[in-house]
Amino acid sequence: MRWHAPADLEEALLLRGVHGEDVTVHAGGTFLGILMNQGLIAPPALLSLGRVAELRGIEVARGELRLGAMATHLAVERHPEVREGWPMLARAFGLVASRRVRAVATVGGVLADADYASDPPAALSALGARAILRGPGGERSVSIEELILGYYTTCIRPDELLVEVRVPPAPERAVYRKFVSRSSEDRPCVTVAAAHGAAGLAVVVGALAERPQRFDDLCAAAAGDLAAAGAREQLAQDYAARVEPIGDARGSAAYRRRVCAVEVRRALEALAA
Amino acid sequence: MRVDPRARGAVRYSVDADMPGQLHAALVRSTVAHGVVRGIDVSGVAPGVTVLLPEDVADLPLYGCQIADQAVLAERPRHAGDVVAAVAAPTPAAARAAARAVVVEVDELPAVFDALDAAREEAPLLHEGLSVSDNDAAYFGIRPVAGTNICHRFRIRHGDVEAGFAAADVVVEGTFRTPAAAHVPMEPHATVARFTEDGRLEVVTGTQTPFNMRMELAAMFGLDEEDVRIVVPPMGGSFGAKTFTRQEGIVAALARKTGRPVKLVLGRSEEFLTLNRHPSIVHVRLGATRTGDLVAKAVTCWADTGAYADCGPGVAQKMGFAAPGPYRIPNCWVDAHAVYTNTPPNGAFRGYGAMQSIWASERTMDLLAARLGTGPLELRRRNLLRDGDAYATGEAMHGTCFEELLDRAAAAVGYEHDPAGKGLCLVMKGMQTPSRASIAIEREGDGYVIRCATTEMGQGARRSLALLAAERLGCRPEQIRVPDPDTDRVPYDTRTTSSRSTFMMAGALAEACEALLEDGRRGHGTIVNDGGLDPDTGQGVASTHWHQAAGAAHLEVDEETGRVRLHRVHCAVYAGRVVNAPGAALQNEGSMTMGLGTALFESVDFNEGQVTNANLSDYNVPTARDAAALTHELVEREGAPIHGLGETALPPVPAAIGNALASLGIELYDLPMTPERVLEAIDRRAAPSPEPDLEARRR
Repeated sequence: MRWHAPADLEEALLLRGVHGEDVTVHAGGTFLGILMNQGLIAPPALLSLGRVAELRGIEVARGELRLGAMATHLAVERHPEVREGWPMLARAFGLVASRRVRAVATVGGVLADADYASDPPAALSALGARAILRGPGGERSVSIEELILGYYTTCIRPDELLVEVRVPPAPERAVYRKFVSRSSEDRPCVTVAAAHGAAGLAVVVGALAERPQRFDDLCAAAAGDLAAAGAREQLAQDYAARVEPIGDARGSAAYRRRVCAVEVRRALEALAA
Repeated sequence: MRVDPRARGAVRYSVDADMPGQLHAALVRSTVAHGVVRGIDVSGVAPGVTVLLPEDVADLPLYGCQIADQAVLAERPRHAGDVVAAVAAPTPAAARAAARAVVVEVDELPAVFDALDAAREEAPLLHEGLSVSDNDAAYFGIRPVAGTNICHRFRIRHGDVEAGFAAADVVVEGTFRTPAAAHVPMEPHATVARFTEDGRLEVVTGTQTPFNMRMELAAMFGLDEEDVRIVVPPMGGSFGAKTFTRQEGIVAALARKTGRPVKLVLGRSEEFLTLNRHPSIVHVRLGATRTGDLVAKAVTCWADTGAYADCGPGVAQKMGFAAPGPYRIPNCWVDAHAVYTNTPPNGAFRGYGAMQSIWASERTMDLLAARLGTGPLELRRRNLLRDGDAYATGEAMHGTCFEELLDRAAAAVGYEHDPAGKGLCLVMKGMQTPSRASIAIEREGDGYVIRCATTEMGQGARRSLALLAAERLGCRPEQIRVPDPDTDRVPYDTRTTSSRSTFMMAGALAEACEALLEDGRRGHGTIVNDGGLDPDTGQGVASTHWHQAAGAAHLEVDEETGRVRLHRVHCAVYAGRVVNAPGAALQNEGSMTMGLGTALFESVDFNEGQVTNANLSDYNVPTARDAAALTHELVEREGAPIHGLGETALPPVPAAIGNALASLGIELYDLPMTPERVLEAIDRRAAPSPEPDLEARRR
């Protein structure tokens, strides 16, 4: 197996452009390591972004949060400006696995893996985050819903790298709920990220289907009366009816649908509180 | 500062053991749950790699510690994951690549995956003509049932159970299931082996059973036992996973074929295919008088031993003689069975069958208490065994302290103040009987060296032995060296299992120290505990002393999601006398943490015999944060003998939690108690039905 370790982004993009699908991008390695140890994939070459310092930054520019693709979960969770301006995001990243995993798992990695049983995608989606993809043809910006297409599948082209995630100014209220059905470090069974502000109401349910589930039409109809318990319950039920849950070791599809109703309602209660 | 060598990375485990000139092995496994190998294509294997094929081991007899039912390589794979070929290559990566390049063609046979299905007459047979092994692990009168998949059945016949039920005012019953579970030692199975120039077989391997393995490998390769040498470095955990012969026969056969030393380290996913805990189905019927005196109990246990018996007969027997529980029951019948299925073999696992029986029996005690309208604490106090009482095996109880343990556990959760959300469990677990332990101790410089087969797997056996010897010899424990067990140098010992080593070896060590003090240079000691049960009546001596514990749980439930929040789970464990206080505490903590995983999280899942969660993301073990609610205490008694502590605190945890849920009207019958199952039980509480349909609970 070949190991490419470019020193900067330019070189990384060049290698990605040359090798395309023949290299597998290695960021934190927490997910890739599992797949390779399990023998599920045996990539002929890895393109490690570990030395690309310019992808590790976390900064706020014009009110917008910019997370470098190689920023770790732990760095996001700990960053004072993230905690101040986007506390829901800091919380969601801080609930992932264990500290040891968070110290190496990256923002770009968790999005590019598109593993359904993850916390950050739903949280980023609810906050209206966009992923910046760079390739030989330049840069494009996609929403999380556009990025994650299905199980382990994204819209990232073979010659592109996910280089940054941009999160707009946080809405007035945002909550993140993680429901685990087993140990405290288990991957989520159902997550709910909800945000309410000038841009309206966004509710994203994660980990229960192949990609984050988000129904803006239901949210738009309900956004006005979140103060009413009945309306919150109705929206939760509507979400539970609309999601397309899967079954796995963490719970059956029917169970997840039920938990979805409970957790969406609880998230809305927290938003309204 | 004294830093534990484990924390300094200074321990050399089996995975670290190397032999000069060694090759590295990898295994080729069947993807089919039951079939016959039609052909093995090795044309894709790189040159320089040796492939071990069934014809290379055709001269080796079947092996198995209790029933000789396993070939070194399977020409007829009986589970998905059964090893059909093996390779040896210069590097581990080359070996893995070569193993992937071997193509195995298998004709499928009908397969069976559930113990009850497998026990039916029309079920496909996994093995024809079972022969009981002559290994000394097959010591208890194994009773295969000819023409069936039942490789052992054990009975207890105590009193007249039908007359007992006829006399009962109240009878309750339930069927309880537990799943396969993985041991998850941090260090996987690892072995390096070679044949020496003078024809001896030398094996360095992680195992709890060096002498059983020596016996088995000697028989396999037609050697005298003295020409097989087993050396056991410390293990990075075992919990029963590294008992009897696992991959060692294959590694030795590769060494024989290549003429080189060969090393094999299993991958994490392979651990789930190597040895798991017996799934169980236990049906309990329990009768009592109106006043709460137990009068009759009938238990049927089914232990699914997977594709090979391994020590499944022993596990089933222990499941059987743990089934009466620590209570006076004048009429008690038990029927326990070990049954083959087309799943990976199941064997020893911390708790060794007792957990499965205790889960069923202690849950049934609370069903009975609810029916009688009496308190679960009161019902247990009224019936528990005291010194002089006869157990269902006929043996007279001695050294009992169930009442004190129960009271302590109950007090820890304030049970008598308010029993809501709280549950209790009382545990009695046997110790390997009969067995034998020998030890030698010699002067060495200004200290001593202990020669002993007790293996170190993180339980602190060496520390305990050093402490005990230092006490006897009036020196510091640091002056006593306890090297790795080496069958060339240490006297015979039954095995490091069954929480027996501190007790048995302490007895032998006392004798050895006395002999040394007399001789001045060396001393030798042996201890034997005699007993055993008649497999047809279950009468005799099941255990020369009993491990005793009580557990209590206090919890609340999110009734909308079924998620359980533990306030506290407490175990009071009888130690008799504590030898090594920090080590004893760690044994309890470890047992309870495993018990917590068993209670709430862990299950090896299958789809048509294929393990679907052979990794530590999908198979979920507890973490330190989950263990925060666990507390324990060790109960000692003046002048009492040492009691082993390796497993006792595991079985109380699931049943105490299950009974705490029952106190809220949430009745669980199956482990693990996942939020989904708890929610289903909450639904049943709203629309009561006696117990969920067994058929519906099968996968």
